[in-house]
Amino acid sequence: MTINMGPQHPSTHGVLRLELDLDGEVIKNTRPNIGYLHRCFEKYAEKMDDYSKVVPYTDRMDYVSAMNQEHGYVIAVERMLELEVPERVEYIRVILAELQRIASHLLGIGTFGLDLGAFTPFLYCFTEREKILDIFERTSGARLLYNYFAIGGLIKDVHPDFKKDTAEFTKTLRPVIKELNDLLSTNQIFIKRTANIGVLPEKVALNYGASGPVLRGSGVEWDLRKNDPYSIYDRFEFDIPTGMGEVGTIGDCWDRYIVRVREMEQSLRIIEQALDSMPDEGDVTEAVPKRIRPKEGELYARTETPRGELGYYIISDKSASPYRVKARAPSFVHLGLLPAISKGALIADMVAIVGSIDIVLGEVDR
Amino acid sequence: MGVTIRHFFGPSVTLQYPKERMELPKGARAKLYVNIDDCIGCNLCARACPVNCIDIETVKATDDVDLGKTSTGNPKRFWLTRFNIDMAKCMYCDMCVHPCPTNCIYMVPEYEYSDVDRSNLVFHFSNLTPDMVAEVKEKAEEEAEQKKREREEMKRKKAEARKKKEEEKKKQASTKKNDKSDDDKPSTPGKKDS
Amino acid sequence: MKTPEEIFEHLTSQFGEDELSFESRDIGQPWIAVQASKIREVSKFLRDEPDLLFNTLMCLSGVHYPKEEELGVAYHLNSTRHNHSIALKVRVPENEPNVPSVESIWKTANWHEREAWDMTGVVFDDHPNHKRILLPEDWEGHPLRKDYVQQEFYQGIPTGE
Repeated sequence: MTINMGPQHPSTHGVLRLELDLDGEVIKNTRPNIGYLHRCFEKYAEKMDDYSKVVPYTDRMDYVSAMNQEHGYVIAVERMLELEVPERVEYIRVILAELQRIASHLLGIGTFGLDLGAFTPFLYCFTEREKILDIFERTSGARLLYNYFAIGGLIKDVHPDFKKDTAEFTKTLRPVIKELNDLLSTNQIFIKRTANIGVLPEKVALNYGASGPVLRGSGVEWDLRKNDPYSIYDRFEFDIPTGMGEVGTIGDCWDRYIVRVREMEQSLRIIEQALDSMPDEGDVTEAVPKRIRPKEGELYARTETPRGELGYYIISDKSASPYRVKARAPSFVHLGLLPAISKGALIADMVAIVGSIDIVLGEVDR
Repeated sequence: MGVTIRHFFGPSVTLQYPKERMELPKGARAKLYVNIDDCIGCNLCARACPVNCIDIETVKATDDVDLGKTSTGNPKRFWLTRFNIDMAKCMYCDMCVHPCPTNCIYMVPEYEYSDVDRSNLVFHFSNLTPDMVAEVKEKAEEEAEQKKREREEMKRKKAEARKKKEEEKKKQASTKKNDKSDDDKPSTPGKKDS
Repeated sequence: MKTPEEIFEHLTSQFGEDELSFESRDIGQPWIAVQASKIREVSKFLRDEPDLLFNTLMCLSGVHYPKEEELGVAYHLNSTRHNHSIALKVRVPENEPNVPSVESIWKTANWHEREAWDMTGVVFDDHPNHKRILLPEDWEGHPLRKDYVQQEFYQGIPTGE
């Protein structure tokens, strides 16, 4: 029997349609249908008459981690221009990107729990996420789609209490993570729903181009912040948490989940180190170029977003607008491996699998 | 249970929305506002907009009118006959705010302007009445025409002067040529036959 | 870890220099241009050679070059073992845009190739599911071509500006 899951289904986190071929309750085959949220990002990027005008559009790719999306694009264009960015800007960017990573993981974990019937952790996660969004709102003026990173700097300086607010937040988050571990990670019902479900072996993960928490959940120690350091990530000390199959098999849904929880702690470590060494003074807009016209050439710049490797492949033909911008979205790739890991699973586990790869449809469809 | 009871005595965290409102931080992105008195009509904000939601039409002020200066001291040279912002299109990216040389376009903390008709979301900032717009346009056209006429006059005069000069040159040249051709004539006997 | 130059040398020692060339521009990263007919063999070699081990395909993008009347496909490969990466590029004429699929080598190419077909119209031979992915199956044209004109109506619905 073939049934439809979505496009309007609470667990698909957007408009995703899955065609499931079933044998009783067992899934024989999955055919994801995407494109419901296609907004022509790449075509728009080519039509813009300025490289900087693409930045607000990148926000709208993965709308729950907009800062990371901007970071990736901005870094790509800066590399094309061979532009040096002031020290202070780099620090602010890293702090914001890590805060955004935490916010995104909180959302991912919260909704993952919600899909599996755990409602309380969801509210805990959203309380904390709200605090991060408040920091962002005071910094950039917007809560979700910031357009805060400019090519060569930032659009404006952070608010005066930025350091204090962030330091305060890092202190309040640690106990919450502990609480979350008690509430969800070691919850027997949750473990029963996630352990040994949707196992993604290392080889398959690599062959399918997985990245980020999905790849690390399969036990591969691969993080672009360490393996191909961009910005100033080489200055910070942090670990790469990987899935170890503590409650089931390596690469199951629980492993992918726990990698995200542990990554939040590592992000906190990075934020604390960055706050300590961040310069207090400095103009954040001084390196912003008036005219952006890269020379002829092309590059592929990749950054680590909460969902995995975000790549921007940009071709410049010396004009003021990019010749081609291709966004390699991690969610797109991860959704492509869904058929591989959902084969043989029960239909109720599909919810857990989709939740554990943490997709954002805005990024899948672009 | 203890936690629940503690929360009963803590401060309230709910805002009774229409009566109480959350205060927006400084620089929050909400409705765009244009201080039209300070606008010089440079079009920079419209050009910076990625979604083209700002529509500006300017008419050059005639020489007899002095529009004064903005509060930042920039001289105003244009009548702003149209300054519309379509907030339905706006994506709150703040990109129009930064290039403004007189800081006259900015976001104001006003977020309750939803409407049932989309055309009501186009905000008009120009302070000229339709009559004034027509008058200003007419005047500008008149002046432009006059200037055009003057320019043409100038052109004509210049052309005349040039013609005269050329004629003189030609005359000189022809006299020279005549002299030359006189010299040449003996050496080209073929021409005589024709 | 190997530089792109070293990887190119390694490749030419295996395949000869007829089908491969090393190219770069003023800025950005260099790439290896490969003949379309050879792309699958080269990819397989890159993936399996112990010194190279490009076990992931990061990105596959279709590009339109209207001046040359050509379509291009760019492959960005990465090796998590050796931590090096390389870009390959294939160019095919617009009227015969056939490129062998690399889906059998990296499964991730499946969706990427479908997207490239959808957006630029590159045809991938031997692809197991050669369909549009983001746009509906009965959409006309390939939007990321530079000469693309949007159809006015889709199933009787105006498509807007």
